[in-house]
Amino acid sequence: MNHLAYDPPADTPSPLRAHGLTLAHGRVPVIRDLDLALPRGRVTAIVGPNGCGKSTLLAGLARLHAPEAGRVTLDDRDIRDFGARELARALALLPQSVTAPEGLTAAELIRFGRQPHQGWLRQWSAEDARVVKAALAAADLEALSDRPLDAMSGGQRQRAWIAMAIAQQTSLLLLDEPTTALDLGHAIEVFELVRDLAAAGKTIVMVLHDLGNACRYADYLVAMRSGEIVAAGAPSEVVTRALVHELYGVDCTLLTDPGTGAPMLTNVRRARAPKSASADT
Amino acid sequence: MWRIAARGHDGRWSILVDKRATAANLLLTGLLLAASLASLCLGSASIGATAALRGLFGHGDAMTVFVIRELRLTRLAAGLLSGAAFALAGCLMQTLARNRLATPGIIGIDNGATAFAVASVVGTGFGLAPPAMALAGAATATAITFGLAGGVGTRGYRFIVAGIGVGAAFGAGTQLMLARAPIDNANTAYPWTVGSLNAADPLAVELLAVGLPAALVGAGLLARALAAVRFSDAVARGLGIRVGRCRLHALALAVLLSALAVAVAGPVGLIALMGPEIARHLSSRRGVPLFGAALAGALIMVVADLVGRRVLAPIEIPAGLITSVVGAPFLLWILLRPGHRIGA
Amino acid sequence: MTGLPLVSVPRNRPRLWLALLSAGLAAACVASLLFGAGSTGPGASLRGLLAWIAGLDAGPDDARARFVVESLRAPRTLIGVLVGAALGAAGALLQAVTRNPLAEPGLLGVSAGSALAVAIAIALGASAATLRVPVAQLGALAGCVAVLAASRVRGVGDDPIRLVLAGAVLSGLLGSLTSMILLFDERTADEIRFWVVGSLAGRRPADIMALLPGLGVALAIVVVIARPLAALALGERVATGLGHRPRTVRLLVIVAVALLVGSATAIAGPIAFVGLVAPFAARLLAGPDIRRTLWLSLPIGALLTVGADIASRLLVRPSELPLGVLTALVGAPVLVAVVRLRRLPGL
Repeated sequence: MNHLAYDPPADTPSPLRAHGLTLAHGRVPVIRDLDLALPRGRVTAIVGPNGCGKSTLLAGLARLHAPEAGRVTLDDRDIRDFGARELARALALLPQSVTAPEGLTAAELIRFGRQPHQGWLRQWSAEDARVVKAALAAADLEALSDRPLDAMSGGQRQRAWIAMAIAQQTSLLLLDEPTTALDLGHAIEVFELVRDLAAAGKTIVMVLHDLGNACRYADYLVAMRSGEIVAAGAPSEVVTRALVHELYGVDCTLLTDPGTGAPMLTNVRRARAPKSASADT
Repeated sequence: MWRIAARGHDGRWSILVDKRATAANLLLTGLLLAASLASLCLGSASIGATAALRGLFGHGDAMTVFVIRELRLTRLAAGLLSGAAFALAGCLMQTLARNRLATPGIIGIDNGATAFAVASVVGTGFGLAPPAMALAGAATATAITFGLAGGVGTRGYRFIVAGIGVGAAFGAGTQLMLARAPIDNANTAYPWTVGSLNAADPLAVELLAVGLPAALVGAGLLARALAAVRFSDAVARGLGIRVGRCRLHALALAVLLSALAVAVAGPVGLIALMGPEIARHLSSRRGVPLFGAALAGALIMVVADLVGRRVLAPIEIPAGLITSVVGAPFLLWILLRPGHRIGA
Repeated sequence: MTGLPLVSVPRNRPRLWLALLSAGLAAACVASLLFGAGSTGPGASLRGLLAWIAGLDAGPDDARARFVVESLRAPRTLIGVLVGAALGAAGALLQAVTRNPLAEPGLLGVSAGSALAVAIAIALGASAATLRVPVAQLGALAGCVAVLAASRVRGVGDDPIRLVLAGAVLSGLLGSLTSMILLFDERTADEIRFWVVGSLAGRRPADIMALLPGLGVALAIVVVIARPLAALALGERVATGLGHRPRTVRLLVIVAVALLVGSATAIAGPIAFVGLVAPFAARLLAGPDIRRTLWLSLPIGALLTVGADIASRLLVRPSELPLGVLTALVGAPVLVAVVRLRRLPGL
């Protein structure tokens, strides 16, 4: 495969980079020798077929998965050199399909986001109260702050989890499939919150399985297949019929969204003949 | 493989037999006969196989005849019958709850039967014979468990946990009565707490000898309906089965069998789990291996009793302890196999 | 927490409950000093108690009552408080770390492991008095490790009931092994028979002293890990994301639970259900956050144990019931209630 430079535009120096990153489950390598730089202050979506390693990559970026080789740097410093709480003040992660103890309220959940900033002798401060309040406001949950999470809609619950990550006051936010199991309306709630956060200056990375949503809500798209990056860049530049075929083995027609200028997939259908024999590895 | 085993000459009736299940049952029967013979031969004084068989039919010297017919045969009968009854009850219960863990021992029925039986043994004022008390206890425990769980539920889990709670309460009650009883009475009642064939009540054995064949016939009549109930209520109804009635009958049989078996041997509950499991592995997975489970259960009980008597003679290890030490790791393996479905 | 405004008022006033429960516990302790299975009635006991506390000189009757209160009932009550608080806290910790509201040291085999270890030690010739506490703690540690290993098997961790079933089976297995040891060894059987059902009777003040180091260390651990443990309730990855180290937290919790359960079992025998009932009641009062339920579990567990001990003396006077029997009678309905109240997965 020809080597591509995945450097983001020069005006947005990257806070989070992967250098020659190799990640494995047991002895099976999932990600091989991967280089990646994420644009600051933008929404990045990592897309690809099931099992392509996108969630593993996200875990590697968040130091949840130790690399076999290579490293991840946060502002040019290896993330392995960060203390646990120090990293949690720089980078917030929302894993896939999280569950909270029954009866926990939204405000209680969001207060957990302050733990990286708290210490033994300073367990609650005026600053904490202010930040939690702001996080509630950002996620539009002020009216629901005392409602138990299990009495909320899926979209509200997911916004509460994101608000917890907001309360960590990090410049980076990593989301793993934040809209899984949400219906269209609830998914839109979450995506619009993500856009608002990016507009406020956060760098956001989310793993998505829906290419359409990725095109619509991401500034920067990282397309993966079999543990390697096959394309990266603005959706309008990198999403082509050939890419869609390479990723998912389907044919489609590409249109341009008249509102946003983002590519839109339509008339998606199974490819008639396999493009190459290696498509099933 | 199914094949038609018998057919009327005009083709109006025919019986389907599963080849693999038949082979499995023949194998189990063979093993059971061998284990039974060993159980008759081995003891504090070993008797040769020929002499044992002659003694069984009243030939040979008087001492051998007495040991074989009066001592060892009674014990063997108690083991065969109670083991078969436990396993058959387990198989019925697993099928109706659609969960392989839903056996009478785990859901508290054995403990209920034990508590009531112990109440009559230690003389707390209840005058009925242990088998009748065991039946009352088993029925009470079942009713409480069902009441608390509000039915069996889709996967039977709520039913099981309610049963664990009920079983724990009855177990505590048994401990309470044993702790309060005078010490020699408590020694009489001790086999009740772990399960042993050492003090099998002849009356209870006779009752079980009548009850088990009747229950086997009843279970045989239910077998086809139960095989459909395994999938789901909706499927079974679609196949024209009256699910509620089928469940009720199966439950009544399971309670009756458990109670009678507990009255003979005490709570040897793990047989109810292991017997059906062995039968399922040996025979095809298509049917509900009621008969095979009964054979396997009898085999386990006879072997466990034999091992318990011989392995550290003259100390006798109760059969209940043997099955618990062997069966519990097996049960843990079932429970903890990663990604494994437990539905029956 | 300081006086600074929280975003929402902590629910249901946990501090009020803590005060009320402590008052209830104090009352139960006084009752435990006054009532007994023997012939020393409440009135005489009260005079004996006053004689002991105020140093009043009194007649020979009061001296006898004072002996009963001071030397028999007071240590027993103190042990009840310690054992109950230890088991309550152990239950709360185990439930938090396994994320399973049904996880209970007695049900999951931790107490049974402890009992088996003591039975083995006595059968091998160890004297019951000296080694019992550390041996029981080691046994509890093995039980804890087994429980945690089981809860981390794929599929079991998300299925509270499968873990409880596995624990019930493990408890049964360990209980059978203990019974086997008792069969072989009459001396062990005599030393252990009444201990196995769980009781607070006939313990000496020296036995209490043997518990204090273990309980002290456990308390220190609990104070350190309460906050990270609360975050762990949200899931391992979330806790990592918040800057905690789940592995370290889990290890510390295991050690704390083993120390607590081992100490309690060493002195009182395996007592089930206190570790289920206390955190359950605490959650009802104060919500799911472990930082509140943990502290509430202490007085609730103690109250429960002392109450059960009083009942065990009074219900079948002049003899006594084993304590484990009473806690099982209280706890079994609570187990069912937990299953019915909660929307557990797989039900």
